[in-house]
Amino acid sequence: MNEREKLLRKLSEQQFAAWEAGLFLDTHPNCEDALKAQREYTAAAKELKEKYNESYGMLTHSCPNRGSKWQWVCDPWPWDLD
Amino acid sequence: MFVYEKKLQYPVKIKTPNAAMAKFIIAQYGGPSGEAGAAMRYLSQRFSMPYSELKAAYTDIGTEELGHLEIVGTIVHQLTKGLSEEELKKQGFSEYFVEHTTGVYPQSAAGDPFSAATLNVKGDLFGDLAESLGAEQKARVTYDNILRMVDDPDVRDPIKFLRAREIVHYQRFAECQRIAQEKLNCKNYYMYNPSYDGVRR
Repeated sequence: MNEREKLLRKLSEQQFAAWEAGLFLDTHPNCEDALKAQREYTAAAKELKEKYNESYGMLTHSCPNRGSKWQWVCDPWPWDLD
Repeated sequence: MFVYEKKLQYPVKIKTPNAAMAKFIIAQYGGPSGEAGAAMRYLSQRFSMPYSELKAAYTDIGTEELGHLEIVGTIVHQLTKGLSEEELKKQGFSEYFVEHTTGVYPQSAAGDPFSAATLNVKGDLFGDLAESLGAEQKARVTYDNILRMVDDPDVRDPIKFLRAREIVHYQRFAECQRIAQEKLNCKNYYMYNPSYDGVRR
């Protein structure tokens, strides 16, 4: 696993935890523990997402583009092997 | 609306291609218990859900299924990438190859193209909930069956993740059913409460 993949893995973990808390909250909207977990995981994910954007380019179309080329077109795409 | 995130929900990196596996794993791309049908089912059923918790759960689960569709497509793509004609032939991939080369086409393991006839949207709260619950169990069984056929850990790992998500989604839909049942009139012992709200006044 290279450095980019390591950071992506860390980001995915936080995003997944945040998503799972949110999904649980859909059917338990007043659960204080889940609300707290959702806040913590989304904050951690936000930080990692910004770090990824600075180092490796755009994760979503609305991320700020860095440099003189449109980064969205750059490889790798999620299904690529390399 | 939907916004694409340029990453998989769970990583896939398959070192050894194997078209024989791709041939049946594609079941979860476009088959009757697959992720395309799941996403279409929930994202369509949500429009007639009468309660806000259910609108949220259906939207989120349907959205997650689109992410799972991408994971299964990635598995099929990587399993068929870089094989020679001879290897593809030996691995039983000739029929698929003639139609689709190594493109990822939404079809069942038996080769039937994806069809919305594998799902229904009844516009009825308990009818649609029951279908959603059944769909999650059936998808979980398909992943169990795939795991029985596959020994490569690079393939098993993301399949195990997808299997676990079916179990969690079933749990959430069961809670949706409980929430809906609690909102019924206390004299109604049966799960019957049409979502159809009649003529707009």
